[in-house]
Parts: sequence; C-alpha cells; structure tokens
Amino acid sequence: MTTMDTGERRRSSDVRPVITDLIDGATVLSIAEEAWIALVGEDEILVPIPGEPPVDIVSSWVDIVGPWTGSVVLTTGRGTAEELSRALLREAAPEVLEHEDVEDAFGEIANVVGGNVKAALPGPSGLSLPQVGNAPVVRNPVDVCRVDVVWRGEPVSISVQGALPPLPVPSPTRENEVPL
Amino acid sequence: MKILIADDSRVMRQIVIRTLRQAGYDDHDIVEAEDGADALAKVGSEKPDLVLSDWNMPNMTGIECLEALRSSGSSVPFGFVTSEGSPEMREKAANAGALFLIAKPFTDDTFREHLDGVIA
Repeated sequence: MTTMDTGERRRSSDVRPVITDLIDGATVLSIAEEAWIALVGEDEILVPIPGEPPVDIVSSWVDIVGPWTGSVVLTTGRGTAEELSRALLREAAPEVLEHEDVEDAFGEIANVVGGNVKAALPGPSGLSLPQVGNAPVVRNPVDVCRVDVVWRGEPVSISVQGALPPLPVPSPTRENEVPL
Repeated sequence: MKILIADDSRVMRQIVIRTLRQAGYDDHDIVEAEDGADALAKVGSEKPDLVLSDWNMPNMTGIECLEALRSSGSSVPFGFVTSEGSPEMREKAANAGALFLIAKPFTDDTFREHLDGVIA
C-alpha cells in the first residue's frame, strides 16, 4: 500500500513550541519563591502583583539552548538589585557594594531560577553563565511567560522569553496555488 | 577536615560556607576556588578532604574538573552544588565518580541529608 505524503506530519513536527505550551506562570512563580527563600532569606515574600517599574532598571539572565531556546530574565530597579545583593551576602556584604558584587549576586539569582526553569522544560538543554545588563529583546511576544512580583515593596519581573522570532505563517491561498 | 568550595560566584561560595555552618559543619578549614581549573590546581596543592563544586563555570566546568581528577588518579570525595539537577546530570555526575549532587536552591537540611557520613 502506498501512503501519500500530505506533508501534515512534517508540518506538525516542525511546529516550534512556545514557552506557554511548556511552563505556566504559577510554576515560574513557585521556582522564584523557592529561590528567594533559600538565597535571600526565609521570611522573604514575593507578592504576585505588578508594580510600577523605576526608570533605572537592570536585568540579569541566563540563556537556555535546547528544544526551547530563550532566556530567563530578572528585571528590577538598580537600587533593588543592590538590596538583593546585600541580602545574599548578609554579614559578608561590604559597606560599599562594588558593581561586580551586584553583578555576581543578581546574576546568581537568575542562574538559580534559570536552572530550575530549565529542569522543568523538555531537554536536553544547555544553560549559559549568568549575564547582567540590558535584557535581551523579546523577539516573539507570544513566546513569553512573564511573572510580575513585588519584593520589599519594589517591583521585580521574571520573564521566560524565547530568543527566536515567530515562524512565518503560511498563507492559505498559497497552499492551493496552481503553478502557471 | 579541609573542604574545597569551587564556584565562579563569590556570593554563592559565601552562601555554601554559610549553609555548611548552619548545617552544623562549622569546624572545618575552607579553601575557595573560582573555577574548575583553580579547583583542579588546589586539589593538588591544598589536599582537601572533600570538594563541593558548581557545575557550570568558565575555564573548566565542574564535571571536567572531576573527570580530570579521576584521570589523574585522585579519589578525593567530590560532590556537586549546582543550579541544575536534571536526571541526566545526576547520572553523568554519578558515572564520573561524584558522591552526590545538591541542586540550588538548597537549605541546611539538604546539606545534612547529603553530607552526613561524608563530613566527619
């Protein structure tokens, strides 16, 4: 028996998953809450409500490369990132924080949250070292799972965002187009 | 007992040291290494009794460090403290000769669970 290749199977397997197919906001929030309690402090609460972001913001992120490719990005005010760094360092925090202390501490939170997000996604995947600076741009607004929280009254966003632009949508008229 | 802590994050090394203390392992010499290559060199020079290492580090990863140690004949007890704890990584760690893999975030209970019997 001859089976005709209609292309259906190929098309369905070519569909790239978006992050909302793979993880939901509640899971991301739960991962962040666990990281906060372990790293920042036992009594540190993340309140899942959006806050007004300050003008001077900074992001830390790790990249995930695998069946789903993107970044796990934490964004907050620069002052809040410093406060987080002090909380992580506790008694080891110097009187004046160096820029590299903030990069290290804020990056490490992204590393822990990102590592656990990666564990919840289909693998195998690779995880980059953390980076701190201006967040990677959102290439596909549909491929984003973002959670907004408030910590000690300050807004923090956790965005799990795809690195790839949307796939082109095939035009239905072209499917039945007859070559001239 | 001398414990070598390898992590490229100074903050995370501090947190590991603090958690060791909170877990009750507070009477030990601590040596720090900032990546796998540094850890490999310090296992030779400092002769630690235990290595607690991150996985993902620049220059040399934790698993590369462990493989280099075992290739060179070192049998120093070695455990991972890492943000990634997938079954594949746990299997890879065990196959390379790691005693355990503690996934971040961790608590002092997690440390006791893995380190009791390893740290005297």
